[in-house]
Amino acid sequence: MSHPPDRPEILDSDHLSTRTREILTSRLSVSTTQPRTLSLRAYAVLDALLPVLLPLDEILPPGTDISMTARIDAALSGPRDGWRFADLPPDAEAWESALLTLDDAATEQHGLAFIHLAPDLRGSLLDAVMDGQVGLDRAGRLTASQMKRWSGDLRGEVVDCIMSDPRIQQALGISSSLTGGDTVFQGFTNVGPDSREDFEPKATASLLQMTDSSE
Amino acid sequence: MSSSTLMKTFAETDIVDTLIIGSGAGGAPLAAELARNGKSVVVLEAGPAFPATGHTPDEVAARELYWLHERLSAGTNPQAFGGNNSGTGLGGSLLHYGAFMPRMDARDFHLHTETGKGVDWPFGLNELLPYIERVESFIGVSGPAHYPWDPERRYAYAPPPANSAALKMREGCDALGLRHADGPAALITRDIEQPHFGTRHACANCGACHQGCRNGAKSGTDNTWLPMAVAYGAELRPGCFAHTIERDSSGRVTGVVYRQNGVEHRQKCATLVLAAGAVETPRLLLTNGLANSSGQVGQNYMTHVSTQVWGEFDEDIRPNRGYPSLTITEDMMRPKDADFVGGYLVQSLGMMPATWSQNLARSTTTRGPAFARALAGYNRSAGMGINGECLPRPENRVTLSNEKDAFGIPKPLIEHSYGPNEWAMHHHAARLLTQMWEAVGAKDIRVIDRAAHMIGTCRMGTDADSNVVNPVGRSFDIDNLWISDHSIFPSAAAANPALAIMALSLRTAEAMLKT
Repeated sequence: MSHPPDRPEILDSDHLSTRTREILTSRLSVSTTQPRTLSLRAYAVLDALLPVLLPLDEILPPGTDISMTARIDAALSGPRDGWRFADLPPDAEAWESALLTLDDAATEQHGLAFIHLAPDLRGSLLDAVMDGQVGLDRAGRLTASQMKRWSGDLRGEVVDCIMSDPRIQQALGISSSLTGGDTVFQGFTNVGPDSREDFEPKATASLLQMTDSSE
Repeated sequence: MSSSTLMKTFAETDIVDTLIIGSGAGGAPLAAELARNGKSVVVLEAGPAFPATGHTPDEVAARELYWLHERLSAGTNPQAFGGNNSGTGLGGSLLHYGAFMPRMDARDFHLHTETGKGVDWPFGLNELLPYIERVESFIGVSGPAHYPWDPERRYAYAPPPANSAALKMREGCDALGLRHADGPAALITRDIEQPHFGTRHACANCGACHQGCRNGAKSGTDNTWLPMAVAYGAELRPGCFAHTIERDSSGRVTGVVYRQNGVEHRQKCATLVLAAGAVETPRLLLTNGLANSSGQVGQNYMTHVSTQVWGEFDEDIRPNRGYPSLTITEDMMRPKDADFVGGYLVQSLGMMPATWSQNLARSTTTRGPAFARALAGYNRSAGMGINGECLPRPENRVTLSNEKDAFGIPKPLIEHSYGPNEWAMHHHAARLLTQMWEAVGAKDIRVIDRAAHMIGTCRMGTDADSNVVNPVGRSFDIDNLWISDHSIFPSAAAANPALAIMALSLRTAEAMLKT
């Protein structure tokens, strides 16, 4: 079977349940026309922030866009995980405030909106956030300690988004979705080291090609 | 849940003998035991009835198994909720628990007597052991033929196959001269007919225990105690969020008001059992202003010190495959070089990718290509983790916040900070596990500081001035109110709590039948 470049082979495995296939497939097509949660300004900051936090060009095939910004924005309006840090406002509000704080900080430090900063300046500003050095003590913005706390939520949300994406799972050779089909629940026969089963994907990510000894 | 049994139902105007809030490890064994002895029983469960075949290994979607009413987490070690502690749906947290099922160490019942720190339980292991053995026998627990730390112990099922992390931890233990074994796991490794439920299949090594077991191999309450309860005439009501406890002029409980599909209902009862866990049980008591003459409701919230150490190996590890946490060592239950009281269990760790990545992402500040490379190391990663004693501390507690939830009820605020004992244990474990991984060639070793589980807040003891319930789980203040969950644990102990919760649940049921 030939696959369009955007449709990972694992989606056609008979080790995938119908429900899991539907969940994974839904992540391939995400509407990017309008932000659902964030303001346009905050959305743009997030969009400029993600590539310096976690570039995917060494993982995914060239030209693949997994719409991370749109999916995170949508996830913020969906079911959350049942808790939050007491020193942060509710998630959607915290993200809006954090991203605007970042934008204001960029303007104050460099005289430019965050989206106009060169990637290395965006990166060093993010480093300063994670280090607890960036914050604003005014309404609608987060303090430095809140920004540091939020940066953990940011990192967590980003890895949730990518590791649950079937294109990333395919590229990294991850078989975690392939626990079993609807009629036959196969599980895994081999569970020890260096024992990939035929139905499990091989990693294709360019950054894994030099070091992959699983073949 | 099997649908082969037609479930008995009760009218809201019926005064049922026992109304139970919560269908997990605390509520379900008791429901089955009371029903089996002829009592009329209704179980209110806030979550839905999930069909096991519908569970998905997709970690984001599988969060439907978590308790999703928002909690606020504070303190110097604010705890993550959801995975590893709080569930929803018929079966409670056991729907997503890891099924690691060690027994409590006999010494952990008497930590205060032994060390002058912590709190003693009002009884010892000998009192709980018959109930522990009944639980293990009924739900199905696998384990080794010879358990190094308890030669008398027997398990009915052979262990599942050791995955990569389990094999690597064995090597690490051997390198440092530690004993190791296949740990007790609440899953079955051959097909069986479970009484009142039907066929449960042998574990298929799919590795998605935390996302819900699809073939009935994992021993939860949904495939054991709950069908038994139904077979003996209990009614299970999913989708019912209980919020108000009603009483008569003498202060005794008369019923519970709950919301189902947006409509308020009232169920009358002769006896009420709270089995909603260490946050929701005290939250119910605090919002209703009940059973708190001791001032102890919500106090002494505890967790387990659950430090993890991960490393990367040259081999293709594939940490999603196989039962995640098979290898155990109990050699650290009272380490000779300890600068802390109590002890900890060590287990091997495989893990699903989003969960693993969350731990990595939140415990480091790496970014850019280095972050991508770290995540790409998933298939080469193996971990070990601990569960260790966490002392009760006055600053750790559950209270009502100023924020209201969708029902207009205050959201719970959970304050959790490590004290010196928890930090000393964390550092001890981080050193030891790092040495073990270094000894077997792991690279990029990473220590993750985290706490898991939730314990305490409605302490059990002999003295009404400093405890919420007596040694069999009965409220000191209201004689027809009982608590059956981990909120009554006086101390955390090191063992994962599910087995002791179920054993205590049977014991409380027995006490209720005698009254």
